[in-house]
Amino acid sequence: MASFHLQPHGMQSMLKEGHRLLSGLDEAVLRNIDACKELSQITRTSLGPNGMNKMVINHLDKLFVTSDAGTIVNELEVQHPAAKLLVLAGKAQQEEIGDGANLVISFAGELLQGAEDLIRIGLHPSEIISGYTKATNKALALLEELVEPNSETIDVRSKEQVVQRMKSAIASKQYGQEDILTPLIAEACIQVCPKNPGNFNVDNVRVAKILGGGINDCYVVRGMVLKVEAMGSIKHVEKAKIAVFGGGVDTAATETKGTVLIKNAQQLENYAKTEEAKIEELIKAVASSGANVIVSGGAVGEMALHFCERYKLMVLKISSKFELRRFCRTTGAISLVKLSLPSPDELGHADSVSVDEIGGTRVTIVKNEEAGNLVSSIIIRASTESILDDVERAVDDGVNVYKAMCKDSRIVPGAGASELELAKRINEFGDKETGLDQYAIGKYAESLEVVPKTLAENAGLNSTDVISSLYAAHAAGNVKAGVDVEQGGYKDMTTENVWDLFVTKYWAIKLAANAVCTVLQVDQIIMAKQAGGPKMNRPMDGEED
Amino acid sequence: MAAMMQPQIILLKEGTDTSQGKAQLISNINACMAVVDLVRTTLGPRGMDKLIHDDKGTTISNDGATIMKLLDIVHPAAKILVDIAKSQDLEVGDGTTTVVLLAGEFLREAKPYVEEGVHPQLLIKSFRTAANLAVQKIKELAVSIEGKSFDEKKSLLEKCAATTLSSKLVGGEKEFFSKMVVEAVTILGEDDSLSMIGVKKVPGGTMRDSFLVKGVAFKKTFSYAGFEQQPKKFENPKILLLNVELELKSEKENAEVRLSDPSQYQSIVDAEWNIIYDKLDKCVKAGAKIVLSRLAIGDLATQYFADRDIFCAGRVAEEDLQRVANATGGAVQTSVNNIVPEVLGTCEIFEERQVGNERFNIFTGCPSGETATIVLRGGADQFIDEAERSLHDAIMIVRRAAKNSTVVAGGGAIDMEISRFLRQHARSIAGKSQLFINSYAKALEVIPRQLCDNAGFDATDILNRLRQKHALSSGEGALFGVDINNGGVIDTFTNFVWEPAVVKINAITAATEAACLILSVDETIRNPKSESAQGEGAANAMARRGGFRGRGRGMRRR
Repeated sequence: MASFHLQPHGMQSMLKEGHRLLSGLDEAVLRNIDACKELSQITRTSLGPNGMNKMVINHLDKLFVTSDAGTIVNELEVQHPAAKLLVLAGKAQQEEIGDGANLVISFAGELLQGAEDLIRIGLHPSEIISGYTKATNKALALLEELVEPNSETIDVRSKEQVVQRMKSAIASKQYGQEDILTPLIAEACIQVCPKNPGNFNVDNVRVAKILGGGINDCYVVRGMVLKVEAMGSIKHVEKAKIAVFGGGVDTAATETKGTVLIKNAQQLENYAKTEEAKIEELIKAVASSGANVIVSGGAVGEMALHFCERYKLMVLKISSKFELRRFCRTTGAISLVKLSLPSPDELGHADSVSVDEIGGTRVTIVKNEEAGNLVSSIIIRASTESILDDVERAVDDGVNVYKAMCKDSRIVPGAGASELELAKRINEFGDKETGLDQYAIGKYAESLEVVPKTLAENAGLNSTDVISSLYAAHAAGNVKAGVDVEQGGYKDMTTENVWDLFVTKYWAIKLAANAVCTVLQVDQIIMAKQAGGPKMNRPMDGEED
Repeated sequence: MAAMMQPQIILLKEGTDTSQGKAQLISNINACMAVVDLVRTTLGPRGMDKLIHDDKGTTISNDGATIMKLLDIVHPAAKILVDIAKSQDLEVGDGTTTVVLLAGEFLREAKPYVEEGVHPQLLIKSFRTAANLAVQKIKELAVSIEGKSFDEKKSLLEKCAATTLSSKLVGGEKEFFSKMVVEAVTILGEDDSLSMIGVKKVPGGTMRDSFLVKGVAFKKTFSYAGFEQQPKKFENPKILLLNVELELKSEKENAEVRLSDPSQYQSIVDAEWNIIYDKLDKCVKAGAKIVLSRLAIGDLATQYFADRDIFCAGRVAEEDLQRVANATGGAVQTSVNNIVPEVLGTCEIFEERQVGNERFNIFTGCPSGETATIVLRGGADQFIDEAERSLHDAIMIVRRAAKNSTVVAGGGAIDMEISRFLRQHARSIAGKSQLFINSYAKALEVIPRQLCDNAGFDATDILNRLRQKHALSSGEGALFGVDINNGGVIDTFTNFVWEPAVVKINAITAATEAACLILSVDETIRNPKSESAQGEGAANAMARRGGFRGRGRGMRRR
């Protein structure tokens, strides 16, 4: 282990044996940058509509086929501490906006690449950081100038306007399918959008994945889709009144171990009868309240089921507590813990509850249009599990974009147009700076080119050609020219209707810059000895290569 | 570079295996093609069966989905093919080999382009366009059977079933079985839940001894003494369905009898007897002539019923009981108290009949009627198993055809026609996608080609003849497909080789989706398994590290 012998400090005496200490430009900063670059190399090819998928097999042997950077970095189990910072930035973006994680990681990777070059020509990291910070602030300010006029107001219930803003997010996940998926997602979101759009809850748009068919067979259901069949023989109820029992529908049993002592023959004969009578009484009470559907969160006893059939009650079992909660929200029911007579305001309502067959799967569809629809479901059909999962992620992203646009609907031209314009203006800004900052600002501008460059590369185009033609277009005043991934060359993105949400870009730039500055600020890495014996030989193993 | 002399960067967890780039894509395609080669010979009427031997026993099958499932594929890309076979099975029930074959062929066509450096996304885009065009074309070509009379419709459905069955082990008896299947499905009526068609297997006899029961049939259950004295045939009996144990046993596990007075002991014993007699009495009072229970019916009860000319059967399988309930209009009761007449079912004739060396309880002439049972006969166990799978496919096909009501010409005719259409369309496109759509069109020809290969004909010759027919400008050749009986080409539509349009639509969509998915992957990252499989996983990781060092971890190459 060369690093041990080279250590000039007296740290060894201070720290426990087996620790590792890396410091200085070569050892710490550049190595951190390398690790981050590796990471962004992985995700970069997934950027944009023509991005490639990755097959990730996680530690549980589950296969993911996706181009969603959020999922990729999540399942990758990144170990390197510096690279982890990038992952965290990606995750932060995922949580803040739900889309654009790839932009964060790719952009950060590119910024670090720039930083590495600057360090090699002799700049100090702190100068780079200050340059990058300046450039970021400038970029965020400039980004506001790029916002399309009149886009800050949006009618979030207008499908057309929503589709316009959502399309590019979906296209980057499911290119070629966006014209099918986007209207569906928009429709589902609009259906459940509350009076105050700011309160839109992403949880209200559900996804039901059903194997078979194809993307063209996807559709939206106003209400919930449960992947369970009704338990009894009643499979269809119109104008349902629903009683929800969270704890299951069965005879009450003592938690404590108990034994019934029987003293005489009379008691023995009556024992079973009383239990039966009790449950009949309970079910009868539920039926008398006007309910015609019982939903149970736990087991449904055979005897209870028998009486439900007798009193013509439909029985549904929803084991997932989350699902049950959503069900209550849709129908307005209140989950009762104990099997008892529900009061009228504890009952939920639905237009219809019916069992249907989709593909080979039997599902129960709860529709609730009259009483204000609170949950809508998108039924996704595809031929493999991996596609189903990937479409689901695209839907998630779309729904998150909707949420973001409810709060801030400003849009900027997409397809690399905004990034290129920013790059151009920041370059101009940098030229006016005095001092060493201008090198870093220049690199920052160059790094912004990564978006159009990668878009072009992933589409199989010559990136240098594209970038130069884009610069020419922007210099000629066509600030909305972006990469045309289909024909090559550039196009005005306003005519193509490729828009990105302003907030997505805003946060992506901000988070990427933050992560990069944090990585650059590190000049020493001290790793304590890992707990456990055998792990020590791992770095040795690495060195053999 | 000095930094690289340092202990190298560990970005990912130890044991993580990553591979990326074009080589990865090609290797995925190769893996898929290897799988496709396994199943390709099973296609069509002259397709061969596969014998798969695993720890669960031997299976002989010709059904793509069954084979794929049993193969236990671990390669992540090839697994996608298993998924699409499964999806086809769920959605339409048949055409599983077709879908796998098509996906494989699309990939085969894509491979040379990828090797030449075409960006996979361009291929994907063209393939998707082609698939959409193909589906539209199928919809255009499909012939609706809607609006025909009931009998006519039935005979049309039989043709569809016959086409499916002809490629199976029971192909020799396809007329016989297709009639049976269509009959069974038409009995189901509107709410056609698959579980309402029972298939019972009885070894022995020949295939032609198989029969359809318009109602329910199940094997005689275990019975106690006294059973022989029960009548075995009823007309219009009342049927009581129970989920109750009719046996002398303790009522509840958590009850205990403690007596201080020994003289009371007898009364307790009597009480237990009273309880069971009371239950039995209630059954009889309800007026039931047949008592079926999901749980055991003991010897006491058997004798009791025999004395009163009532037939009983205990431990009836859940699904059989459900079918009886559905057919007879009864409801399964969990308690014998308060039995109202509505919960009793009825049927015209109940009898116990000998089938092979088994006794069968058969309910026919049921009022609600929406149930059917097919009793399959045949030689070996594996044979009957395969026959059951074949019938399942046929049943699904008929259900789909009845629902969607459009059919297309089979025998490769529709594939040839789409292929021609796409080729023609491709000529109107400028740019690279012309090539790709042409390849897609070529890939579709695999169906007739494989049909010929499997039948031992000269595929090249027949394919050229088909192309000539389909290219006729008058369009009269559009229905020509492979004549599997005589070798050559034939108008398959007028010869009743029909498939429901939905089978082809789904096959093409699913195959294209799968092919595109595989093409769109450029990197595989395999994380080491977690604790659950630690021992094995760690061992694998070690072995992998030794073996794949050069190609394996992408990180180290630079």
